[in-house]
Amino acid sequence: MSATELATARPLLVPEPLRREIEAFLYLEARLADESRYAEWEKLVADDMHYWVPKGAADYDPAERLSYINDNRPRLATRIRQLMTGVRHAQTPPSPMRRIVSNIEVLAIDDVAGTYTVGSNFVLYELAVQSGATLRVWPGRVTHRLRRVGGELRMSQKIVELVTATAPQWNMAFLI
Amino acid sequence: MSTPYAALILEDRVHGSLYTDTQVFADEMDRIFRRGWVFVGHDSEIPKSGDWVTRQVGRESVIMVRDRGGAIHVLANRCAHRGNRLCWRERGNGNSFQCIYHGWTFGLDGSLRAVSHKAGFDRDRAEMPLDRAGQVGLHRGFVFANMSGDAGTLADHLGAGGRDLIDRLCDLSPTGNIRLSAGWIGHRVESNWKMWPESDSDGYHLDFVHASMLRAQPDNYYHDTVIGGESANVSRAVDHGRGHTELDLRPSYSRELAWLGVGRDRVGAYCDALEARHGKARAERLLWDGPPHGFIFPNLFLGEVNIARIDPLDVGSMVHAHTVIQLEDVDDALNRRLLRQSEAALGPASFIVPDDAIIAERMQLGFQGLRPPASGSSASGGWIDLSRGRAREQRQPDGTRVGHVSDETTNRAFWHHYRHVMESRA
Repeated sequence: MSATELATARPLLVPEPLRREIEAFLYLEARLADESRYAEWEKLVADDMHYWVPKGAADYDPAERLSYINDNRPRLATRIRQLMTGVRHAQTPPSPMRRIVSNIEVLAIDDVAGTYTVGSNFVLYELAVQSGATLRVWPGRVTHRLRRVGGELRMSQKIVELVTATAPQWNMAFLI
Repeated sequence: MSTPYAALILEDRVHGSLYTDTQVFADEMDRIFRRGWVFVGHDSEIPKSGDWVTRQVGRESVIMVRDRGGAIHVLANRCAHRGNRLCWRERGNGNSFQCIYHGWTFGLDGSLRAVSHKAGFDRDRAEMPLDRAGQVGLHRGFVFANMSGDAGTLADHLGAGGRDLIDRLCDLSPTGNIRLSAGWIGHRVESNWKMWPESDSDGYHLDFVHASMLRAQPDNYYHDTVIGGESANVSRAVDHGRGHTELDLRPSYSRELAWLGVGRDRVGAYCDALEARHGKARAERLLWDGPPHGFIFPNLFLGEVNIARIDPLDVGSMVHAHTVIQLEDVDDALNRRLLRQSEAALGPASFIVPDDAIIAERMQLGFQGLRPPASGSSASGGWIDLSRGRAREQRQPDGTRVGHVSDETTNRAFWHHYRHVMESRA
């Protein structure tokens, strides 16, 4: 499904156990990111992960234009390895963070690939303790693609479209 | 009272109040960013007639636009009637600029074309164009401007050293032309703008500030070029004069294409194309040397494959905006590789510059509350030491000054020129 199709998709009504499982995944992913539990967060990631924070809407080819983050699985592994060195100064100490995840909608189900495409809104509050200890607010929308690996849900895509994505951004060295 | 710059900027130290004093910032916006040459953009960003991008020159919003004849104009982004901002998007294309307040319409060259309800307007339209940069100049597609029009020639501003930095970058393209087509990423930093000409050309900090990147990316070429101990490292810090500086990494590369992180087998067609343009010997030199790491005073960073500009916002806030070079007539795969390399290095979520941003912000915090010393006395505190390597740097026959890559030769070069500008344009 293209970004445009997803943007206009009617949410799918899915059986209640599946809906609860998807919600639980999103909340866990948010909590592990909030608490900078990098290794546990990485366990939620599938081998074909694409982690993308575009500049503006996710309607362009990230191979041709710059993005804030455009990680394939190896690049994401480097990102987490760097955070776990203990001397990633931009996140030393890690920012206290909490994000509210809401408006969760299952937008597409691909029975052949076994994937669920899920949209949600979020507001992340971050205290930038590494420098001026100012509170920074990061609102946006996430599109997850989830897939079952060995019975458990994993994410193979996380696209984060920030409300402020066309404006300059402060340090974003945490997991957004 | 005017600021005594000569008392605050000595050859081996500068005072911290220069980063926090709002009067100093106001002086800089006038003397450096309005009356001096600044980098605005690149002509490849506006390839077609009517293409425009918005930028800032100092604190003033401008439109860089290409007219029907192909000429590039840098116009104030401000209606000549009542001052409404004309363009609020980052880029666009059109035949004219129309103000949405009262409908005045301006040509691509800034001339006033039409006034609505013209019976009540008794001025001559020719007297009412958009304000514009007093001088616009290009070097290899890099567009520079100044608002005042009395900044001397661009060739004098760049000097041989500045021109050579840009030439060495552009010569890496098989056509001699680079394209800035990948968009700009803005990185907001709560620091004074001067932290960046200093930090972007500081070769002393890498193994401390960027320790996490070096550990996470053991194959990064910075290991060879700026790390490895004071005696082992043969990279150089260069003062090109006029405030332009370089960390010359070329002596440290241990193989050709190290800066690209691949071997000739992966980019054979590119190497052949360079050889066809430059001949074998010069192409081999270029492929070994790679793009420069330099800073053009006051706001242009040539960071190997990256281009960044410094946009000051106020005395304690600025944007480090960057894009990546794209080469002409090469495989898409090579340009995509450059783009991925850039995403790893620069920007708010990259592996390198966020750590520099933290240092800049903490320095800004460190300078809070400082007041300029009455007599330039070092006893009053708040001084920043820039003495490293003074005894061992060498003046070369071409006028450049060269030190060890870890020496503060580049920082002294910036401040030396800064003081000259701030005093001579007082």
